[in-house]
Amino acid sequence: MSEPAATPEPPPGEIPSPAARFELFQRAGGIAAPVLTAVLAFFVGGIVVLATGHNPITTYREIFNGTGLNWFFEVGSHQIGVPWTDANVWFPWNVNDAESEAAFNLQQTLLVATPLVFTGLAVAFAFRCGLFNIGGQGQYIVGAMVAVWVGSSWAGLASGLHIIAAIGLAALAGALWAGIAGLLKAAVGAHEVITTIMLNWIAYWIGNYVFGQGGPLQNNVNESVPVSSDVVGGAKLPILWGDPLLQGLHLGFLLAIAALVAYWAILNRTTLGYEVRAVGFSPEAARYGGISVARNYFLAMAIAGLFAGIGGAVDILGWQFRLGVIDVQNSSIGFIGIAVALLGRNTAIGVGLSALLFGALLNGTSTRNLDPEVFQPELAGNLTLMIQALVLLFVGADVLILWLFSRVRRLRRGPPTPAPVQEAAT
Amino acid sequence: MQWIAALLACGLLAVGLACGGDDDGGGAGGETTTGETTTASGEDVNVGLVSDVGRFNDRSFNQSALEGLQRAEEEFGLTGRPVESRQTSDYVPNLSTLAREGFDLSIAVGFLLAEATNTAATRFPDSNFAIIDYSVKAPPFKTNPNVQGLTFATNENSFMIGCLAGLMAERQGGRQVISAVGGIKLPTVDIFIAGYRAGARECNPQVRTLIGYSQDFVAQDKCKEIALNQIAQGSQVIFQVAGGCGLGALDAAQERDKWGIGVDRDQSNLGPHILTSAVKRVDQSVFLTSQAVVNGEFQGGTDAVFDLENEGVGVGKISDQVPQEFIDRMNEVKDQLISGELMAPATL
Repeated sequence: MSEPAATPEPPPGEIPSPAARFELFQRAGGIAAPVLTAVLAFFVGGIVVLATGHNPITTYREIFNGTGLNWFFEVGSHQIGVPWTDANVWFPWNVNDAESEAAFNLQQTLLVATPLVFTGLAVAFAFRCGLFNIGGQGQYIVGAMVAVWVGSSWAGLASGLHIIAAIGLAALAGALWAGIAGLLKAAVGAHEVITTIMLNWIAYWIGNYVFGQGGPLQNNVNESVPVSSDVVGGAKLPILWGDPLLQGLHLGFLLAIAALVAYWAILNRTTLGYEVRAVGFSPEAARYGGISVARNYFLAMAIAGLFAGIGGAVDILGWQFRLGVIDVQNSSIGFIGIAVALLGRNTAIGVGLSALLFGALLNGTSTRNLDPEVFQPELAGNLTLMIQALVLLFVGADVLILWLFSRVRRLRRGPPTPAPVQEAAT
Repeated sequence: MQWIAALLACGLLAVGLACGGDDDGGGAGGETTTGETTTASGEDVNVGLVSDVGRFNDRSFNQSALEGLQRAEEEFGLTGRPVESRQTSDYVPNLSTLAREGFDLSIAVGFLLAEATNTAATRFPDSNFAIIDYSVKAPPFKTNPNVQGLTFATNENSFMIGCLAGLMAERQGGRQVISAVGGIKLPTVDIFIAGYRAGARECNPQVRTLIGYSQDFVAQDKCKEIALNQIAQGSQVIFQVAGGCGLGALDAAQERDKWGIGVDRDQSNLGPHILTSAVKRVDQSVFLTSQAVVNGEFQGGTDAVFDLENEGVGVGKISDQVPQEFIDRMNEVKDQLISGELMAPATL
């Protein structure tokens, strides 16, 4: 935020770029706005729960317990093994308890949050370059498709190498997929919202074709089922915590944390990140400063796709082990990633926390965790969607509020900018 | 708490009655109590039902299964627990949570849960599982003694319906063509169409059956397009075997003033153009399997077949424009199918 390029006020007579408006929204929010947004969404959600004749407090408590986050309440003196060594260090929570209900639920919450971190970063990274990447879903699917292809073939490969190859190629595929949109934006100015949506559908239909009846990647065990072959044992990610048969928490979780760190480092500690942000703040100023806008559009999209592609790969190699037509059709991880990025204000910590929130919501409201006495299972699924939608609505609304706020302040402060410019800004 | 209460209630009932269905979590369904004829009380029986990602309000498969569970709850007093899956990542946790909570039987709705059911059955060998519309002889199942496949002889009711469609085409005159719109070309889809085609030929030897696939179970426009093509080729009756996509086919039939035939559940509420529906009584399969658990007759490792005889498949509401003699002819075919005099083919 300290760069000179960060000025959000457009020069008079010029239409402010989406990035400038976005910057306003980022700057004024800080930590309070996203937290308030979430709290407000839960509050309104509670009113709706009340309207359906249920007690919102017990319902929310039940949801919270379903997320497994109550596992953290059991604080004690325990040991945790350091990965890849025999050493144990002190840890406040008992990770050796992998079987209890809370531990199992927490594993599932983190398992769902993991791909959300990646798709959230995919949206956030493009956002920082002033691009709205709606294509997280397609990039995630492409990554998953490549991962399942690599993971289910090449059975002779050594385990570690196989995993690296699968994740690496999936990342590359995601990067290429999103890179198409970046390239089109850079070369001919095709709007990335349109092209990424189109690429989503192309990925969707490729998935339908390759895993469908008679498709090239359909399994050869049961031809009536439109699903890929299974990932071989050597390509499966190691399980960090929990029962390997029952979707224990896999290594992808650590990769997600590493991705958050990498995201922060790229943006804040590299020339590339500086340029990406400069283009995001103002493409014109960046160009004037000697930064190639076209190159950064392409790179920003490619890196965004890289994140989403890894997200698809860790889901496949971590717990899913196969990909079917229905998975391609039904998945919405990429789209939830948009909400994750918006709520997380495109910062590394924000994306991490909001991925956790959305993962917890998806898992906590699952009907297996909601006692039917507390909240009917028929309504529980809609409760998740409702809270998600409310979060999005309030994220959108607070942009509006901030904009109004800044406008009032500007009017009070001094020479008003010409009215037509303000019209254009809306 | 709940199960203690259930146990107490069971204890009270047990004064005069055998409290059937208990100790079922102990292993592969008791083959010892098969002699029992009366329906035992299901007070202490817990049956879980896990939907696929279509969820319970899909007005089709999952919903039908839920209705069966609710009927079993009313009839036997057992405790049912429907659990919805919203993402693929819900399958394994849903099934394993039910098993861990000691449910006597967990029923998985549909082939999408096959892998997860296999995983849970392997991991919890003392719990019983069933999977709707999937054979335990097909992979991924090996020889799990605690899983039962619930399969449907939909070729039988489709044969009856094919007969009716053939007769309607005959009465209409003109080109003797009827048709079927399938979703993805799967054996579970083809079994309907095979029976339909054979049944039509049985009652109207001149009739030709057109078959098209949309390769989709969702997008209505695709099925509509196929149905419109078939109508252009003279089809008078359109049988949809494509779930939600097939609604488009029925829509095409309505638009062009042709007969449509619904699938899976009774779709007569869609309008007067619905001739009848090939009903897969998923509810009956859940109900009968729950009953088997209550009576201690659950048989893991096998496939239970639901057919015309045990009302696992059937014919929905028939349009009132159908002459009674056609219905009589169709029911004649039904009796012949049940007695084995006629055989409905299961594959195309």
